[in-house]
Amino acid sequence: MKLGLVIDLDTCVGCHACGTACKQWNTSGTIGPLSDERPYEKDPSGSWLNRIRTYEVGDSPHSKTVNMPMSCMHCEDAACVTVCPTGASYKREEDGIVLIDQDKCMGCNLCSWACPYGARELDPNSGTMKKCTLCVDRIYDEQLPEAERQPACVLTCPTSSRVFGDFDDPDSQVSKLSRQRAGQQLMPELGYNPVNTYLPPRNPKQQDQIKVSAVQGIKQLVNRIINR
Amino acid sequence: MTQRQDLPQFEDHSKQEHRYTTCYMCACRCGIKVTVEDEKIRFVQGNPDHPVNKGVLCAKGNSAIMKQLSPAKLTQPMLRKPGTERGAGEFEPISWDAALDMLTARLANIRATDPKKLAYFTGRDQMQALTGLWASQFGTINWAAHGGFCSVNMAAAGLYTMGHSFWEFGDPDWENTKYFMMWGVAEDHASNPIKLGLKRIKERGAKFVAVNPVRTGYQAIADEWISITPGTDGMFALSMVQVLLREGLIDDEFLIRYTNAPQLVINNPGKQGDGLLLRDAEGNPQIWDQHTSGVQSALSPDVAPALLGEYEAPCGTPVRTAFSILMEKYMAPEYAPEAAAQVCGISADDIQRIALEMAHVAFKETITIDTQWTDWAGREQSQFIGRPVSMHAMRGISAHSNGFQTCRAIHLLQVILGTIDCPGGHLAKPPFPKHIVPPIKPAKGNAPNTPLESAPLGFPTQPEDLVIDENGQPRRIDKAYSWDAPIANHGLMHMVISNAVAGDPYPIDTLMLFMANMAWNSSMNTAQTMDMLRAKDHNGDYKIPFIVTCDAFHSETVNFSDLVLPDTTFLERYDTISMLDRPISEIDAACDSIRQPILAIDRDVRSWQEVMVDLAGRLKFPAFTNDEGQPKYQDYKDFIVNFERAPGIGFLAGWRGKNGEKSLRGEPNPNQWQAYKDNQCFFKFDLEPNQKYMRHANKDYMELAKEAGWVGSTDQIVIELYSETLQKFRLAGQGLYDGPQPTQKHHQERLKTYFDPLPFYYAPLEQQRTDAKEYPFYAVNQRPMFMYHSWDSQNSWLRQIMSQNYLYMHRSKGEALGIKDFGWAWIESHNGRIRAQVKLMEGVNPETVWTWNAIGKQQGAWGLSDDANESQQGFLMNHLINELLPGENEAGGQRMTNSDPITGQAAWYDLRVKITPVSDNDDELAGQNLSWPRFDKVKPLPNFTPATKMSSYSSHPNINLSRGWRDIFSRGEK
Amino acid sequence: MHPAFSVLIFTVTSGAGYGLLAWLGAGQLLGYSQSYTSDQQIILGVIAMVLVSIGLLSSTMHLANPKNAWRSFSRFRTSWLSREAVFAILLYPVAALYAAALFWQWSCINWLAGLSMVLALITLFSTSMIYASLKTIRQWNTPMVPALFMAYALSSGGLLFLTVSGFFDAFSPQLLKTVTGLVLITLALKMVYFFWQGKPQGATIQTATGFSQASVRLLDAGHSAPTFLNREFGYQIAADKLLRLRIVMTLVTFIAPLVMFYCVLQGTAAELLLVAWVMMMTGLLLERWLFFAEARHVVRLYHGEQRT
Repeated sequence: MKLGLVIDLDTCVGCHACGTACKQWNTSGTIGPLSDERPYEKDPSGSWLNRIRTYEVGDSPHSKTVNMPMSCMHCEDAACVTVCPTGASYKREEDGIVLIDQDKCMGCNLCSWACPYGARELDPNSGTMKKCTLCVDRIYDEQLPEAERQPACVLTCPTSSRVFGDFDDPDSQVSKLSRQRAGQQLMPELGYNPVNTYLPPRNPKQQDQIKVSAVQGIKQLVNRIINR
Repeated sequence: MTQRQDLPQFEDHSKQEHRYTTCYMCACRCGIKVTVEDEKIRFVQGNPDHPVNKGVLCAKGNSAIMKQLSPAKLTQPMLRKPGTERGAGEFEPISWDAALDMLTARLANIRATDPKKLAYFTGRDQMQALTGLWASQFGTINWAAHGGFCSVNMAAAGLYTMGHSFWEFGDPDWENTKYFMMWGVAEDHASNPIKLGLKRIKERGAKFVAVNPVRTGYQAIADEWISITPGTDGMFALSMVQVLLREGLIDDEFLIRYTNAPQLVINNPGKQGDGLLLRDAEGNPQIWDQHTSGVQSALSPDVAPALLGEYEAPCGTPVRTAFSILMEKYMAPEYAPEAAAQVCGISADDIQRIALEMAHVAFKETITIDTQWTDWAGREQSQFIGRPVSMHAMRGISAHSNGFQTCRAIHLLQVILGTIDCPGGHLAKPPFPKHIVPPIKPAKGNAPNTPLESAPLGFPTQPEDLVIDENGQPRRIDKAYSWDAPIANHGLMHMVISNAVAGDPYPIDTLMLFMANMAWNSSMNTAQTMDMLRAKDHNGDYKIPFIVTCDAFHSETVNFSDLVLPDTTFLERYDTISMLDRPISEIDAACDSIRQPILAIDRDVRSWQEVMVDLAGRLKFPAFTNDEGQPKYQDYKDFIVNFERAPGIGFLAGWRGKNGEKSLRGEPNPNQWQAYKDNQCFFKFDLEPNQKYMRHANKDYMELAKEAGWVGSTDQIVIELYSETLQKFRLAGQGLYDGPQPTQKHHQERLKTYFDPLPFYYAPLEQQRTDAKEYPFYAVNQRPMFMYHSWDSQNSWLRQIMSQNYLYMHRSKGEALGIKDFGWAWIESHNGRIRAQVKLMEGVNPETVWTWNAIGKQQGAWGLSDDANESQQGFLMNHLINELLPGENEAGGQRMTNSDPITGQAAWYDLRVKITPVSDNDDELAGQNLSWPRFDKVKPLPNFTPATKMSSYSSHPNINLSRGWRDIFSRGEK
Repeated sequence: MHPAFSVLIFTVTSGAGYGLLAWLGAGQLLGYSQSYTSDQQIILGVIAMVLVSIGLLSSTMHLANPKNAWRSFSRFRTSWLSREAVFAILLYPVAALYAAALFWQWSCINWLAGLSMVLALITLFSTSMIYASLKTIRQWNTPMVPALFMAYALSSGGLLFLTVSGFFDAFSPQLLKTVTGLVLITLALKMVYFFWQGKPQGATIQTATGFSQASVRLLDAGHSAPTFLNREFGYQIAADKLLRLRIVMTLVTFIAPLVMFYCVLQGTAAELLLVAWVMMMTGLLLERWLFFAEARHVVRLYHGEQRT
């Protein structure tokens, strides 16, 4: 299996629901807690596994605002795993999820240096690295209703801009979406082969309009016999 | 995933419990499922079965844990320390018994003498049916919620035009619409329902056009972004109306059958009765029947009304159809696309193209749903015809002083395309549509120890309905329903403090505020408002003698209170989202819901509704007192179950009847709360397929609505393109009304100018009086989605997303002014100036600057440390806005309210500013990263525990997924 | 990249230590160590291992969860950091045996000297590859980085070797000429590195976001206060300050010691070399600081920078 996410840039409105859903689930999840430093003071800063950035593409007046949520891409060639000296970082063979064994991490930051996507953040309290688990503690939990065995970010996304699935299965929704909508990897040139795929914004819908007469002027509206 | 893996048991489900309730962090009121373990919250998720959010949740909902854990929570009732000044922030704890005894004594005295001396105003609450009932039982007319500074223009324009409105009272038909136009919707109103809808239309390939000066949030995903000049949407809409009229692209069948467009209007300029509808002896409006070539009742089913034409009534009065007036008005050159382009900043080609695109969808891409239904006259119809153009509008339309007419203009556009309550169009949500308008008049007067004869808020239809005294002076403290704002259906909360301090129209004794931050972000003119709250008369007594605040958190307003009554959080209370109030209905179902406590209360706080019911009993309100003179209801739950507004109609519509067997109407059910809890805390009553559309003229629907008490009769709801109500007020302004008329010239002018029975565009009032050369920029606010409707600086997760706001402006303008990205600048209006950090951007109308509202906080409030970004770099634009209009003192030495002249809606978005980069020479804050104005620090409350430097929340110790040694040693590079 | 002081100390100090050990071992093999007594050689070895140990201890200060530091030997198969740790630890017993061989004059001394030298160089190389292997930081992802790390270590270690020799009256002008040559090569290499680094290349905000056809600007980072990512990767240094620091670094690390080498070769007391070494070490700390401060991680593109 090659589990990952498809993220639809055509529909993401940048609401941050996925970011806080992730924070909420995972702070009590398998790699939790996700600590917050100075939560009620100057420059509050905590560890998050999913952040949402907003870009403006193109120059005014033709700019387009694009919201881009980013979390671990679960790369096929995950450099963060390669560089980890302790073995805390690893990619699961059975499903491709990249995880950090919290009991083994020594907090050297090297994996975060190796990650081009900013997906790894050091927890300011535990001193261990935290990252997206694809909610491994949800997706296999058979005591959850089947429809809820999804990452928390996917479950909560109000515009369904996040889809979870197996990219190895050509019939999965993620594979289909990725094919149909020309899904892209971010920074493919680094060669890490990220699994998460971004669907670019679609071309704006073109709407037909009623053709108007060449001769401008009021068309005579006339009373028609219409029964009330 | 169903594949069984060799994984540890991450969650001990046996220790977890799922509890359902309703979110209360904005007005969407999503259903939530809360997983609790050890009385701690494990997870808050959207309830998948819930009609509002269908399982999804926003950023706030997902941060509910941090709201619950906020150090800013109030913990006990408090009294301003005797001998200290108001606003000094010195409080001492007081017991609930003592607090309520004291409050009861004070209120009882007011009630026994002059009940209107209690002004009771509520903020973002969702219990206006209860607080309104409480106020009317108390006998004060001085009650309202926050709609006056929020969205009354939307609600009023909709209700006075088509009997429902945008947002809470109606929604686009997301499943069928092919063209969706969103006007002035920042990132809010609504949250999840709009997001679900946008996803749906994008999936279906409908076109999404966003009209907004700023391209963030929802506009980001629009197919087309219209970067309109703020406040000119009415011109844009009406210019499109001209294009449609010019090309004959109107749904005349719809207009004739369902609107008052063919009704005959008296054409007697300069005479009494001019512009009113021609009526027969029974008072029925008339049409010109083409079958009989004569005047007939407009309500008759068997006529063929002429849409156009000038006629003579049998009595000899010259008349013409409303539509003729409409044609004449909108074919005028001022609404030509070329002229409109100059006003709106949208090209004439675009105006015409969008109008013609909508016409194409409405008339060439019509959809039909084959369902037998019965129309208002009992005639069987075989299908619903859908013109799948839909719209949604909100704050950007509402918060201008031309918002009411602008919103009417948008509705006009919808109506002439025939897109109201049809498949693919704009659909009402039960209990809407209502007749135009609901037959509730605002209470006019009060007497000691006597409930009001009517609700404090209602729907005036004529000058006689105004709440004014015999001299034409306002009776309400906020001057709602006076000549200042005759159709102020939600009151003018933003005027209360200012008027009370000025003693205009009279001083009050007690101001009671619930969930409203009037000393900060909910007031215009914040700094002066603080001064007003502290103001004393020549005797040294406070001009507002007593201020009671009920809130769950340490807001800036708490600091200005004499008595603080701490509320619970939404996870600790019972509550109803009632059909009598603002229910959570969907377009095809009547829905209401409840809240139930998810967590036990761990401090000395009480939910405000419990306190309301308690006080009502103590004060012996008739509706809350039994025959023995004892309190009738044990508590809030008891009240909700047993109170009936009309026989069988109560706060909750579900599981009524003795055994819970009845829906919508039925006798009280003692087990009603349990029934709601058993159904995940909501009730959903699905409409039948034949009741889902054209409800304004749908017999089967109207019969249901009447039975449920939603409407008073099954008569057709005739859409009022032409508003006779407005014309009556205009006549009063012209001195041609046979009834109350204003005596002051500026009132007469306002009525003559703005009370046009047909929507029109006018420049917002503040802008009419502001020198555009001196103040070249429009300035508007929006709330970020992740804080929409809740001032969540106390939420440690959400404030990590944003604890500082910037002034956003167009890159080219910033560069021209020499302001760099993240440079500091002074922003100045006629009312004052602020210092803020600037962020340059592309996606904004170049003439417009904007910021995120209510990020800025007063130092020391909201449980934040003294160096918190919110108070050091964050800022409010409110300081630049005055609750009064600039310019001449037309109102007898006083300035007029900065509000819509029709509804009194606070005109937040009419602001104009100038911007100058900070200069190191003359800047007292030179070189410092500090916003201005700066205020005194709010003192910590008694027993306040500052938060820890590090927070690591979890509901249980984590179960680590351990990697085995074998794997560590054996895996090589891939 | 945020220049963590512990890492600066680590790489500079342990580099000098490994360099010194390499010079000592090579001297055993090539014969120039014979000008020292075995006690003096042991002292030199101890100095080397003290420097290495200071460096390694300092490196653990950089760990946020040092209780798991021992686990860093686990992933020898893929992680250069793990390899560095393993080689660094392996070096201790080997160096101890080398010292014992010196003390008791074992016959296998050449083997142990050679092994010590090789381990020192491999450890150095491993350290440098921690940085050089990161494709996310183009300023580091070059063979010049290991070459420079080795050159710095051998320069500073060689200079230390000479400096101590001055105190032992074993100074060799020939060796100083060799070190001078090495420092000149290092300087040249660093200049090439600076030149190469200045050329625009690598990922841009367009490739990072996937919008290759238009300008891309960050509107909102999604957090208004700095996060771990900003603190770790967002280090900013003004261009004019950068140039000044580069000049100072070059003067202190290379030019000043070279001038002193010349003086010593011209007859000034060899004790001057201690000053030269201290200067070089100070300069190298600045060099290492610049090495981090000038390194621009690709994550910065997501935070709005146009290129790295």
